[in-house]
Amino acid sequence: MQYLCRCKNFHELAVPTPQTFRRTYAIHAASAPTFQVFNRRTKWLQKERAASHVELSRQADYLKDEVAMRLCERLLDIKRQFPKVLDLGANSCNIARALTRENPDPDPARPVSPPLATRIGELVAADSSHSLLYRDADLSFNDAINITREVLQDEEQLPYAPATFDLVMSSLSLHWINDLPSVLAQINNILKPDAPFLGAMLGGDTLYELRTSLQLADQERKGGISPHVSPLADVRDVGGLMQRAGFKLLTVDVEDIIVDYPDTFALMEDLQCMAEGNAILSREMGPISRDVLLANEGIYRELHGNADGSLPATFRVIYMIGWRESDDQAKPLPRGSGEVNLKDILESK
Amino acid sequence: MTPRSRPIKKFAVAVSHCSGEASLYGKCIVTDYDGVHKDKCLREFIKLKDCYLAASRKA
Repeated sequence: MQYLCRCKNFHELAVPTPQTFRRTYAIHAASAPTFQVFNRRTKWLQKERAASHVELSRQADYLKDEVAMRLCERLLDIKRQFPKVLDLGANSCNIARALTRENPDPDPARPVSPPLATRIGELVAADSSHSLLYRDADLSFNDAINITREVLQDEEQLPYAPATFDLVMSSLSLHWINDLPSVLAQINNILKPDAPFLGAMLGGDTLYELRTSLQLADQERKGGISPHVSPLADVRDVGGLMQRAGFKLLTVDVEDIIVDYPDTFALMEDLQCMAEGNAILSREMGPISRDVLLANEGIYRELHGNADGSLPATFRVIYMIGWRESDDQAKPLPRGSGEVNLKDILESK
Repeated sequence: MTPRSRPIKKFAVAVSHCSGEASLYGKCIVTDYDGVHKDKCLREFIKLKDCYLAASRKA
């Protein structure tokens, strides 16, 4: 405001010729501009399309079901009831399916454990794609869990009040978020104090085989490279991101799932049916040319192929657990407050 | 995805007849993958493409 007034005075007093007057503006940016990597609309279209072919889409759910199951196994360690749970980026409600699985505890000492869904009051499954979200709405697992489906207009703006949920889960959808720091902070905000967030996302070296062989094929056929595989967060970035979003008591770990395919076309077709196709903003539009696909098949097999003729594809899944801060939570002791020398304990054994 | 055979399926079947040529082309690239430039393995690629075109005509 002060700046504007000065301008006005300056104009009245010191500028004799109006044609040389240059007007300047002071603009206050709302926040740091976020770097847009993915086209969210393309991703939405891919999801809608994939879900419109119900059977093919179900067949390609093997990865999402497996990861959802492994993520839900981590819930076994938290002995609590969860009255209200959010599944953010639910895809085809793979987490709901994993929660209703019989006998989830692999402990042989307890032969039968109840499904995790018995500890959950209400599960809100939220996703941007209506077709994918409702694809399995009439299957039997829906009766074993109190599930509400909610279509989100924008997965990067969560429409929930602060401190709404007792648990937030997210399986294999955070890797398509443009502004991950903001979404993680929003998740932290909608959690009740001392409530956990359990997430799984693809990261790091996921699909490095496809990435490298397509790069070589592009380079040799076209003389330049267009991005085909998303840039992904690394394991060490995730810890920092979670901390920045305000989560406490972090646990981050990694698992590689390697799937063998008969050829590169089967791999790419499955990725398409999973709605995990390329949605990078700066990608070359239109399908990959046949020459590049042909070259890619030869290079992939030569560079990464298994001895039995199949082609491996690596999916690196990063699991993260973080807790919303609360006063009655266990906290690390201050630095230098230790009274027992670890060396003494280790050497006496 | 549609009931009729997708073009990519036909493409994949035709390419599968050319595993020998594809392997030769792949070897040519992989022997020096830091120095790949445009048309580095053009001869091998033309052979692969000819084989693919012949195979797709037969199908």
